[in-house]
Amino acid sequence: MIIAVCVFPFYWMVTTSLKTQLVALEAPPVWIFEPTLGNYREALFEDGVLRTLINSLIIAVSTTLLALVLGVPAAFALARFEFRGKKDLWFWFITNRMISPIVLALPFFLIARNLGMLDKHITLILIYLTFNLPIVIWIVTDQFRGIPYDLDEAARLEGASHFTIMRKICLPLAMPGVAVSAIFSFIFSWNELMFGLILTRTDAKTAPAMAVSFMEGYNLPYGKIMATSTLIVIPVLIFALIASKQLVRGLTMGAVK
Amino acid sequence: MKTLRTLYSSAALASLVATGAIADDHGWSLKEAAAPYAGTTVDVVFLLRPGYEAIEAMLPAFEEETGIKINIIKHPYENALGEQVRDFVANGDLDIALIDLVWIGNFAENDWIMPLSEVQEKFPDIVDPDLDIDDFFPLVLNAFGGWNDTIYGLPFDNYSGLMFYNRCMLEEAGFDGPPETWEELKDVYGPALTKDGKYAFALQSKRNETQSADSFARVLWPFGGSFLDDEFRSNLMSDESQAGLQFRQDLMEYMPDGIVAYDHAETVNGFAQGDVAMITEWSAFYSTVVSPETSTVAECVEIAPEPMGPAGRKPALGGFSLAVASQADDAEQAAAYLFIQWATSKANAREYLERGGVPARQSVYTEDGLEDFKFVPALVESWQDGVPEFRPRFAEWPEITEIVQEWGTKMMLGEVTTEEGAEEIGTRMEEVLDAAGYYSGEKPLAQ
Amino acid sequence: MRGRVSRKTIFAFIGPAVIGLAAVGIAPLLYALWTSLHFYNLTKLKRVEFIGLENYWNVLTDEVFWQAMGRTFFLLGTALPLQIAFGLGIALVLHQPGLTLIKTLARLSLVLPMATTYAVVGLLGQVMFNQKFGVVNQLLGGADINWIGDPENAFAMIIFWDVWQWTPFVALVLLAGLTMVPGEIEEAARLETKSKWTILRYVQLPFLLPGLVAVLILRTADTLKLFDMVFTLTRGGPGASTEFISLMIQRVGFRGFDQGLASAQAIILLIITIVLAQIYIRVFYKEV
Repeated sequence: MIIAVCVFPFYWMVTTSLKTQLVALEAPPVWIFEPTLGNYREALFEDGVLRTLINSLIIAVSTTLLALVLGVPAAFALARFEFRGKKDLWFWFITNRMISPIVLALPFFLIARNLGMLDKHITLILIYLTFNLPIVIWIVTDQFRGIPYDLDEAARLEGASHFTIMRKICLPLAMPGVAVSAIFSFIFSWNELMFGLILTRTDAKTAPAMAVSFMEGYNLPYGKIMATSTLIVIPVLIFALIASKQLVRGLTMGAVK
Repeated sequence: MKTLRTLYSSAALASLVATGAIADDHGWSLKEAAAPYAGTTVDVVFLLRPGYEAIEAMLPAFEEETGIKINIIKHPYENALGEQVRDFVANGDLDIALIDLVWIGNFAENDWIMPLSEVQEKFPDIVDPDLDIDDFFPLVLNAFGGWNDTIYGLPFDNYSGLMFYNRCMLEEAGFDGPPETWEELKDVYGPALTKDGKYAFALQSKRNETQSADSFARVLWPFGGSFLDDEFRSNLMSDESQAGLQFRQDLMEYMPDGIVAYDHAETVNGFAQGDVAMITEWSAFYSTVVSPETSTVAECVEIAPEPMGPAGRKPALGGFSLAVASQADDAEQAAAYLFIQWATSKANAREYLERGGVPARQSVYTEDGLEDFKFVPALVESWQDGVPEFRPRFAEWPEITEIVQEWGTKMMLGEVTTEEGAEEIGTRMEEVLDAAGYYSGEKPLAQ
Repeated sequence: MRGRVSRKTIFAFIGPAVIGLAAVGIAPLLYALWTSLHFYNLTKLKRVEFIGLENYWNVLTDEVFWQAMGRTFFLLGTALPLQIAFGLGIALVLHQPGLTLIKTLARLSLVLPMATTYAVVGLLGQVMFNQKFGVVNQLLGGADINWIGDPENAFAMIIFWDVWQWTPFVALVLLAGLTMVPGEIEEAARLETKSKWTILRYVQLPFLLPGLVAVLILRTADTLKLFDMVFTLTRGGPGASTEFISLMIQRVGFRGFDQGLASAQAIILLIITIVLAQIYIRVFYKEV
């Protein structure tokens, strides 16, 4: 039952994507029909969905890497060092995760316009940090805290710097958490729509923004929309299934503190 | 269709010869005029609609002749305004503006587009002596391309509201023609045609531009109503406007449920599947409802002008012009103008029509061999006299249409009465107009 | 003394993240603050002018804004209990011993809805819930329910998809909580009572609480952020029946182009978000 409810929509998405427009509009819907790959061919090669998928991939991977580079040391500091305002800082990081993207989308659009940064990959890579960095910091801080302090101490006595301790001792032990946060930030970036819609036009257009652009009130090409949806969703689902163990653990770490 | 093609080619041949002759006289040809701009790329937003597909199919000929590359960025209508506004305020890449008639005040007041005469003065060598601007339907040219007595754009993708009806369903119910008036449609045709899961009528009313343009405005004008009075105050509380809005409520009895979620696609599908007997839709849908690939009632489709109201026939008017963008550099502006001139030219009108577009050239509709295009007589009649300010075209329309969309759908859903809704729209609309400076005399009362 | 390090070291570690997030997170907010104090319409950039708090006043007195806010919390109030109820049910089923292959499969399929692109969920909804050719009405035995065109049905449909997408998340979080109950305690309890309810209430609940709190926080934030799925499914309609707060702000800012007003709305939303986050975190996450 659980499996059926979870999986059925995907089944329907894929089958609809293999229907021609007339078949897709048949009422009541048909379950057995002659499948066609026409929608995929049209979407990928005529409408340029392929390029938007590549854009999405570039952006999601880059922003994830950037979030890790910035976030892991910060998480280490939050877990290991004592300093004034630490609580507030942590709170501020986490609050960013909760801000509605529309709050940032408006001013970000205006700033990007003034800086001539509209429709560039880098713009999305940077703005996605607003939700990726908090995820990384949240999960990885937690992971660092779970590592016994004695290990640091021992290394410290041998004269290792904080940076070496982080890199050589704590990071390997925290790898599961780092992986989890990377998976999350990749998935969130891949799926993001609003910034993609507002801040890109053609060159950096992301795949979800592309899928939405087929929604012309004159004529809804359902098969093609579902084909594009399938192309967007399938990679991330495969990725999620492969990483499902880490994902589930990530939920536990991030959520059940 | 085949005969039409052949006919077309001979016509094209004739026009080629004609151009050739002109080239001899005036020394003008597209190829030579475009020579300095070969290699220029022109960016333009297109919609996913038949008129755009038609010109896209014709494009290779233009690109080959001129060496100008047209880069088409496709968007659904609902995103097209936002995309272009964001591009223009960001000094972006667009070289041509695609202007719905309700956007023109906005684009013109922001100086995002150049007046036609200015372009022609700047690049005198590229103006086709055969441009013949008087050949455009005057109503269409002024409404789609003009603002404050200045022509900016040339009409490109042109619509008039038409009544599409299913002759077979009407005959079965004992009618030998479509209703003449809206009242007749509701009181006579409505009850007779609404049964067994079929409906007499469908009026696309989704909460977007469809609600304000296709639904709200459509019932306002034929009943003598309007959005604004002469002083730019709301006229929605007038007896005429209220009669129109109330009429829409009553008419819903003969429309499918959930009509407030019907966009063009749903309405046209309902008609094309034989579930709805009559619709009032844009001329652009002609190709969809008569093609056997998308319609099961192709054989039964007939076209008439929209019904009349107490105030006469006031069919919906809509459509797009193309104008040169001020933000483009000189070469791009010239290349953009050449494309616009070519796409809307007299010489290309016939091919454009046959490929599914609707040109705004009067001359093309006087040609022979148009019997297959059943919408032509009704279209020509509708364009003789229409209301250019069917929807006000001033710069404030994007804000006002949002208000109309919200409260118009609430009215239809019965969440507010027509009076309450009209009151609310009126107040909010006047706030917008006040802020814009119409009441203080800062801004001329132009719509 | 553990954790005492020089400011320089701390800054080296945490500075890049702070600067990075400030650049993309705070600078835009300051800009929004500036915009919100002006008449700032994208199609009227020729007359940008300072108007003080007028935009804020307009937002606070606009019933449409508060209706959208109320609708957003109403969605939270209806969808979240369903998610918790179903999620708990699923977690308890999966927590039972036995049937391992099915359980593994179920666990895997739970991951799918969560990872699905939200915009795609909405597109899928359009196809499946169509009155005529939608599969949902067919599965309901040829029902003729008008999902997308009726205000209440459309809202129900949004709830359905929200529950579909996020129940697995709740289930997995709670399942993780259940596995943290020490085996011996649970067994001892089972010997004493047969009532599953008693076990749930007195033995398992304490271990579930942190997870529930996290769910509450994240779902509140996500509901305030909810945009993609509704945008592609109903665009806020019919009427305004599914116009949630983020959709409304997007409409004002990018369709009506009144960026000043939209910025004021966004900042009020931000304040509400921060206050809620503060309350949640201060109340539930005491030790940080």
